[in-house]
Amino acid sequence: MTYIMSLFLFGLVLGLVAVASNPSPYFAALGLVVVAGLGCGILVGHGGHFLSLILFLIYLGGMLVVFAYSAALAAEPYPESWGSRPVMVYILAYVVGVVMVSGQFWGGWYETSWVPVDELGELSVLRGDSGGVALMYAGGGGMLVISAWVLLLTLFVVLELTRGLSRGALRAV
Amino acid sequence: MLKILIPTLMLIPTTWLTSAKWLWPTTLAHSLLIALASLSWLKNLSETGWTSLNLYMATDPLSTPLLVLTCWLLPLMILASQNHTTTEPINRQRMYITLLTSLQIFLILAFGATEMIMFYVMFEATLIPTLFLITRWGNQAERLNAGTYFLFYTLAGSLPLLVALLLLQNSTGTLSLLTLQFSGPTILTSFADKLWWAGCLLAFLVKMPLYGVHLWLPKAHVEAPIAGSMVLAAVLLKLGGYGMMRILPMLEPLTKELSYPFIIFALWGVIMTGSICLRQTDLKSLIAYSSVGHMGLVVGGILIQTPWGLTGALILMIAHGLTSSALFCLANTNYERTHSRTMALARGLQMALPLMTTWWFIASLANLALPPLPNLMAELMIITSLFNWSWWTLALTGTGTLITAGYSLYMFLMTQRGPLPTHIIALEPSHSREHLLVALHLLPLILLILKPELIWGWTA
Amino acid sequence: MNPIVSCTLLITLGLGTTITFASSHWFLAWMGLEINTLAILPLMAQHHHPRATEATLKYFLTQATAASTLLFATTTNAWLNGQWDIQHMTHPLPITLFTIALALKIGLAPLHIWLPEVLQGLDLVTGLIMSTWQKLAPFALLLQIYPANSTLLIMLGLASTLIGGWGGLNQTQLRKILAYSSIAHLGWMILVLQFSPALTLLTLFLYIIMTFSTFLVFHLNNATNINTLATTWTKTPALTALTPLLLLSLGGLPPLSGFMPKWLILQELTKQDLALTATLAALTALLSLYFYLRLSYALALTMFPNNPSGTSPWRLQSPQIMYPLALSITAALTLLPLTPTVTALMMP
Repeated sequence: MTYIMSLFLFGLVLGLVAVASNPSPYFAALGLVVVAGLGCGILVGHGGHFLSLILFLIYLGGMLVVFAYSAALAAEPYPESWGSRPVMVYILAYVVGVVMVSGQFWGGWYETSWVPVDELGELSVLRGDSGGVALMYAGGGGMLVISAWVLLLTLFVVLELTRGLSRGALRAV
Repeated sequence: MLKILIPTLMLIPTTWLTSAKWLWPTTLAHSLLIALASLSWLKNLSETGWTSLNLYMATDPLSTPLLVLTCWLLPLMILASQNHTTTEPINRQRMYITLLTSLQIFLILAFGATEMIMFYVMFEATLIPTLFLITRWGNQAERLNAGTYFLFYTLAGSLPLLVALLLLQNSTGTLSLLTLQFSGPTILTSFADKLWWAGCLLAFLVKMPLYGVHLWLPKAHVEAPIAGSMVLAAVLLKLGGYGMMRILPMLEPLTKELSYPFIIFALWGVIMTGSICLRQTDLKSLIAYSSVGHMGLVVGGILIQTPWGLTGALILMIAHGLTSSALFCLANTNYERTHSRTMALARGLQMALPLMTTWWFIASLANLALPPLPNLMAELMIITSLFNWSWWTLALTGTGTLITAGYSLYMFLMTQRGPLPTHIIALEPSHSREHLLVALHLLPLILLILKPELIWGWTA
Repeated sequence: MNPIVSCTLLITLGLGTTITFASSHWFLAWMGLEINTLAILPLMAQHHHPRATEATLKYFLTQATAASTLLFATTTNAWLNGQWDIQHMTHPLPITLFTIALALKIGLAPLHIWLPEVLQGLDLVTGLIMSTWQKLAPFALLLQIYPANSTLLIMLGLASTLIGGWGGLNQTQLRKILAYSSIAHLGWMILVLQFSPALTLLTLFLYIIMTFSTFLVFHLNNATNINTLATTWTKTPALTALTPLLLLSLGGLPPLSGFMPKWLILQELTKQDLALTATLAALTALLSLYFYLRLSYALALTMFPNNPSGTSPWRLQSPQIMYPLALSITAALTLLPLTPTVTALMMP
């Protein structure tokens, strides 16, 4: 299990590098999806099953569609993947940076971050994430109302920003 | 105190409510009455020196002459400005008088303040009306530059002063002028204390102005309208000297050593600005530079801190206030006729305006400190006390006096004597308003010969 | 924009700030900030001008960065302390992160670059909201983390007053100038934050009054650059005479209201033995004063030549409501004599 966790963590860092190195948008979207998936895996490893499930569902269900759609809109004839020279330079710089920083901060309380929670002992009975969700529904009713309003507001805002023929995000088409 | 201040405040409604026809006579009469009432401050009977006390303000023999001078100058400014504002719409004329009045209010509050921070606030508050006076009512485009110089020189000096005053307040707990000189001696040894000393004085030295930080003054004088030049020369420069006299007792142990360079600078400035005057072509600029020179003597007199020095400085401030203001008025009568400040263009005026020549003569003699005038008394006292401090200063002060006499004579001869150039034969004759204006400057100066103890300050 | 939509957005804008004010829980405070950001976005982009869209995008990106940094800081705090309470910030790491996040949110000096460009893209009313109301919520949070990182705050403050003055020096666009003035004023507030939060609040209050008046004056004259200001005297002569005073009050010259916060802040700094900081801050204020002075020159102290038919617009009745401007400009000029009262009220 530790090997898988290490794989996930390395994958997370590399995926972030892949996004940050400024390739063409759909490669970046791909990198983002990979990072999200690996992040969910890490969360599972640390004992947050419920949270990672929600995250994964939202990413797959909502964000990925939007990503694919907007990446398709921004399609270009000569995409830059990670092989092309300027992107490569960025990747190398980031990797060197990560290596240097990890060398600097080696050791400490995060030493065990690649150890999954099951192997730490039997104390991790309390399922913090699903308990937290229950607590939020029970105690944070008002907050829930606000959250609902924020969702509605976001819809409003997006509509207001994009409506109309001559304006908005779709103008380029 | 309030019996002067409230009528001055009420001058603003007077300005806005009188009809256009009576605007200038009414405001003139009103301000003259205020000036008349302010003369009652000169009678000081109290033993401590402080009189007309209220919670925030008081007068003492040091501030009284300056206060009276301030009140005296407002009617003169109103009198002097009548000609060049006649072409303006009536509301702008009212605005202009309001500006002059607000300047007087702030000046009274500054000279009358019994607390250093209040003094500081009012010291700064005079900047805004003066700035507007220079930049809004001046004539040439360079006035904007002059306004910027004026504001930034003064503020760059006075913001450290604010911090220095607040530090002083932290250590003594009060900044009241009534008690501050009795507070215990402060121990000033470190380098930071020396900086503090400089911070306390720098603002006033810039305002005076000391030679070296004087560049704003000629610009401001040259570009300002006549009222601006008058109030700058007569009162605003004196704020610096007044502030120095007030704050020096607090700086006691350090001043003795640290003031050397400033005294030398001031005396060197007398010679340098005098030399500049000797080859000056611009009449207003000449008078402005001569102000810098005279103020250099004042700085020297104040910084050596002997009773004679301080007395001489105060007398010189008052006498110079009246003299240079009169000179600016005279220069303005030329300017309003020839529309040029260049001396070479307006020569030989004795032929055209003979009575004006009399005024020019008296004012030039006052500027070069002719014997019975208070100017001489002041310069003698300052030179004597400087001589007592160090013999070598006599070289500087002596040369300075000689050069002063030289350029005063040069100014008089250049403007009045000689043949009248043909292009100014058809000059407008001088008005009685102008004669009255100069007479009201020079009469107090002459009368002060008879009773100089009015402006002796603490020594009286 | 549809009035109902704009009304909804404005109410939500108020709601966001109020939520941040009222919360003692980090999560709710963060939510309030996000609501705030979301609600102002359509208002910013309402004219659909390319510059406005650009400004909206820039604003959205910076605010999202700031908010996520904030969320990260609060999560770190919760992890280290086990507390979500705003008042319980003890560990230096989340406090520093948090200060930096809020500095980005309000646009303090090293993190200020977005502010002038965003403000330049907006119309004057939205710009007014942006530089007044939008500062309230972050300041409500800043005021609550009291034992803050002192060196960081002083550095942020000094850098802001310096850059706020410096950056505005060669601008000709009023909104950019106002943005730099905002940066400089925020610098003063941050400078004194750790010593006297009440003073920060007072400074913020006076800054809002002065900026409100300035924006309204510019709005009234429909002026967005310095040249347009030169014809102000043909439209509102009385206001033209007052506006230089207003600008100098922003610059902090006595005897105008703007001097009060500067004075009290310098006093507080000297009390804390920070005389050098005080002097530096005071001298950087001169830089700001320079561009206020330039505006005054263009606005009122020089007379722009105008043809006779161009000088009469002041005779026409203005359709705009003048009372708020009249009130705020009076307050922005004449509050200095109230200093002792204010001191007694705010710092008992």
